[in-house]
Amino acid sequence: MKPAPTVEKRRSADAPRETLRGHAEDVFAAELAELAKRDHKPRPPSWRLSPWATASYIMGETFDDGFTITPKYIGNRRLIEVAIATLATDRALLLLGVPGTAKSWVSEHLAAAVSGDSKLLVQGTAGTSEESIRYGWNYARLIAEGPSPSALTASPIILAMREGKIARVEELTRIPSDIQDSLITILSEKALPIPELNIEIAAHKGFNLIATANSRDRGVNELSSALKRRFNTVVLPTPETAEEEIEIVKLRVASLAGSLEVPAEPAGLEEIRRVVTIFRELRSGETEDGKVRIKQPSATMSTAEAISVMTQGLSLAAHFGDGSIKAADLAAGLTGAVVKDPVADRVVWLEYLETVAKPRASWRDLYRACREIA
Amino acid sequence: MAGAKSGESVRVFGVRHHGPGSARALVGALQAMAPSAVLIEGPPDANDLIALAGDDAMVPPIALLVHQSENPAKAVFYPFAEFSPEWCAIRYAHASGVPAAFIDLPQAHRLSATEPDAGGEANDPDTHANEPRTPRDPLDIMARAAGHDDSESWWDHVVESRRDSADAFAAISELMHEARSSIGGEAPDAFNNLREAHMRRSMREWLARGHDRLAVVCGAWHAPALEPACWPTAKADADLLKGLAKVKVACTWIPWTHGRLTRSGGYGAGIRSPGWYEHLWLYGSDVCDRWLTSAARLLRAEGLEASSGSVIEAARLVRALAALRSSPRPGLGELSEAIRAVFTAGETAPLELIERKLIVGERLGRVPESAPMVPLQRDLSKLQKSLRLAPSAAQTIKALDLREATDRARSVLLHRLLLLEIAWGEIADLSGKGTFKEAWTLEWRPEFSVDVIEASIWGSTVEEAAAAKARDACLSAKTLAKLCDLIERILLADLPPALQSALESLAARSAAECDAAELLDSLGPLVNVTRYGDVRKTDVSMIAGVLDGIVDRATIGLVGACSALDDSAAEAMFASVNKANSALRLLGEADKLERWNGAILDLARTRSAHAKLRGGAVRIALDGEAMERDLAERLLSAEVSTGSEPVHAAAWLEGFLHRGGALLCHDDSFFGFIDRWLAGLSETTFESTLPLLRRTFSDFESSIRLRLGEKARELAGPSAGASSAGEAGELRRFNRERARKAEAAVALMLGLDPEPAP
Repeated sequence: MKPAPTVEKRRSADAPRETLRGHAEDVFAAELAELAKRDHKPRPPSWRLSPWATASYIMGETFDDGFTITPKYIGNRRLIEVAIATLATDRALLLLGVPGTAKSWVSEHLAAAVSGDSKLLVQGTAGTSEESIRYGWNYARLIAEGPSPSALTASPIILAMREGKIARVEELTRIPSDIQDSLITILSEKALPIPELNIEIAAHKGFNLIATANSRDRGVNELSSALKRRFNTVVLPTPETAEEEIEIVKLRVASLAGSLEVPAEPAGLEEIRRVVTIFRELRSGETEDGKVRIKQPSATMSTAEAISVMTQGLSLAAHFGDGSIKAADLAAGLTGAVVKDPVADRVVWLEYLETVAKPRASWRDLYRACREIA
Repeated sequence: MAGAKSGESVRVFGVRHHGPGSARALVGALQAMAPSAVLIEGPPDANDLIALAGDDAMVPPIALLVHQSENPAKAVFYPFAEFSPEWCAIRYAHASGVPAAFIDLPQAHRLSATEPDAGGEANDPDTHANEPRTPRDPLDIMARAAGHDDSESWWDHVVESRRDSADAFAAISELMHEARSSIGGEAPDAFNNLREAHMRRSMREWLARGHDRLAVVCGAWHAPALEPACWPTAKADADLLKGLAKVKVACTWIPWTHGRLTRSGGYGAGIRSPGWYEHLWLYGSDVCDRWLTSAARLLRAEGLEASSGSVIEAARLVRALAALRSSPRPGLGELSEAIRAVFTAGETAPLELIERKLIVGERLGRVPESAPMVPLQRDLSKLQKSLRLAPSAAQTIKALDLREATDRARSVLLHRLLLLEIAWGEIADLSGKGTFKEAWTLEWRPEFSVDVIEASIWGSTVEEAAAAKARDACLSAKTLAKLCDLIERILLADLPPALQSALESLAARSAAECDAAELLDSLGPLVNVTRYGDVRKTDVSMIAGVLDGIVDRATIGLVGACSALDDSAAEAMFASVNKANSALRLLGEADKLERWNGAILDLARTRSAHAKLRGGAVRIALDGEAMERDLAERLLSAEVSTGSEPVHAAAWLEGFLHRGGALLCHDDSFFGFIDRWLAGLSETTFESTLPLLRRTFSDFESSIRLRLGEKARELAGPSAGASSAGEAGELRRFNRERARKAEAAVALMLGLDPEPAP
């Protein structure tokens, strides 16, 4: 177990090498422990928290005695409830959405709240092999001892099955279809046969799987209908209102700045609002007041990118500026986030600056800073 | 018997209109109480019609229609669904043989009020409409306090979805009492006061008649005011009701639809999900599983995947969700979310299908024959029956073969209704062309019932009414084009007497008409009429005379009408001339064509006419072989010579080559004509003409231009005279390198010795 990387602890001098990013169950260990203490509702087998407490953990809650759970997901509570109810019915959960809609984030926190362990993770890529989903062999042992359970290298999914925990598959649709399908047996039989040893690994109660997939690349490796049938799908939308999105960016930037130890002042709400407005307008193709149509760039302009623009700005301000975030600190990040295609997106970005940003009187500094770079 | 003592014998049931939970509780309560009479919030004007509700042919959703006798457009609807508490109360009274009566303020008073737009759809002062939203909706406040988005979902959660609410009425009444006093005393507004006074007066009358057990069914909002314990004195109520204005009203039952019951329907009956409510009403115990199964079957019918396995999974998810949300039983929200998560893999499009077919539910009620109907309604339903064309709320497409008598009669009926502005059917596009076929999109909307009543002033049968209305429309038609359009529609609706008078007014109007464009425009529809006549077996002989007169007048006025026009007027005229030309060619009558051609030739030569029209005239004459080619060529050269203004020349060419691209491609003689003219131009003239030609040709599509270029090259090839040169050209186009490889392979296959490569 790593030391719980709370800000205080990490800053103390005697701390050994620190991890860059703590797992959800470590960072929020205090919240999880407190919730478990207060949670008297029935828990499904092997669950660390009841479904109610899990929902409170994700959506945030303030108890009467002032104990506060920070919200992990800002958005529609009903969606999160559907996700939790799905896990409670032992159906696998597929979180779907455009990039940057907090799919992995929700998946990590769900796993942390339900099993207290978000590390049983298979990262889906075009090169993900069947071994990383099912099992591989320790060849030295295999040759020395012949096929035996000890020569087996278990995948995170097998570990989750044995311990009755939640396993996570990230970017399911990036995995080639034939390898995706090796999940079918696990999801429908809740068991994994190992023909070489003539044994079967059975899932313990509490095992379940959360997969995330990008609805933009759905075409890459579309799920087979047999696999699709094993999942309940929850679509995570882009934030509905500007206020909601600003709130998300604010919270995440604050927590990232903490974990990256950026010695800058917290980003001003006004700067966050400007960045979020730019992202929302470019994403929707029109200005917030609906009066001007804008070309849309090829980038998805997700909330996650807005967050990284803000943290980049913070770090620039801290190390090269006076510590408080300025338009110039944001300009580089903004330009990079919008202009993914050097020709088409640049036109979009310049057009946006000229037609939308320039006429806004309070945006002068931002306009100039961006023009300089673009 | 009246007064405080009557408290025991009167029970007030405050319900929500169209609430299945209220209805279920009400039925139980009525059975337990066994009242001697059932009084219902509703228009007493329709008390005579209540008995009809016992008829088995009456199938909800239906509505009571109350309208002013003089002016049927001023109307109010009281919709009833199968799960409406009011409907259940009526049915209960009928089944147990006790009298039922409506006790609200009569519409005779309410419709007489000169309030703005009493009969308008949207601002209909329908009792059922503004019920839960009465002044500053107090329920909203409570709903928000309980954490719901609006009063409806709160009411749903607290009252409707419960199945054990037999004793809920006392609680509801108490709640409403609080709500009423919390928003400022007992008198929220004068109008509601009036209504409640009338309801109390009616209750007193029933008590005085010796009924000792009265059940009163009213909107929850009114319940506290009707509790005998809270009654003001009889005199106070009587004073309030004194001297109200009154009009004559008529009532009837009409079929209604589920779509109309939803909010989006415009009448504001106030429920979003009649299909769901009906489901709740019909299936007490296994609501969820049945709902999910119907959704799965619906999706399957549309070819989407929804297996029984998915239904089981969805049912589990729904229960888990309801438990997670601490609600006693899953509601529509949980069901819809589960359907989205399990069945449709997050897609939203199939959900719209479920919304339309399941949550709202397409359904049209039925009303027995014995319901009062105006003669026109009776005639219409007779025709619908004899033509087997039953009205339905769902959109259907019907293709009619006009060669068959039944289909022709159906088409005539639909056209007649269109003339009466009852758009039950709309002509749909038919893929295959052919005058003997007609496709209609049929959708019966409940408000047509009102339209029919309104149209009954024109006559007592559909035929009579349509003819009368058409005649009236002819008299008031302002333009010739409108008149022609009407004539076309009258023909389609097969109304000879109306056609006669329409043609008379056409003759009269065309004689007085001095606008040649209007005359030209009228030719198209008239020619259509003569042609349609054959299929529809209508007598069109009388049109010929009128047509003759119009052609005469149009040809005489043509040149004058084409002179001294600006560009946009010329554009409009150009379209009219072309349309008239194609109409007359379609008609193909030699003498009329001759007169027309003469006018066109005149037009081509008249300097004062707009250049585009002159060009167009030459083209028309050329196409119709009414002009010598030499003359046409001469005109072409003259118009496009250096002497004429470039703008005019361009306009002339534009008229001349109008839509000529494809024609140039396919018609060799026309192509040759242009080609000869072009080839004959001197170099300097050619150079000055080039921009004009370029301008005209740039209007053609690029593919047409490409083909024109190819055609020019083809023509140029043989005309060069040397076929061998052409062949050499062909050969030059080969890639010798690549040909040699293929040659070797072919030679090998044929067993020849490949020639050694040089």
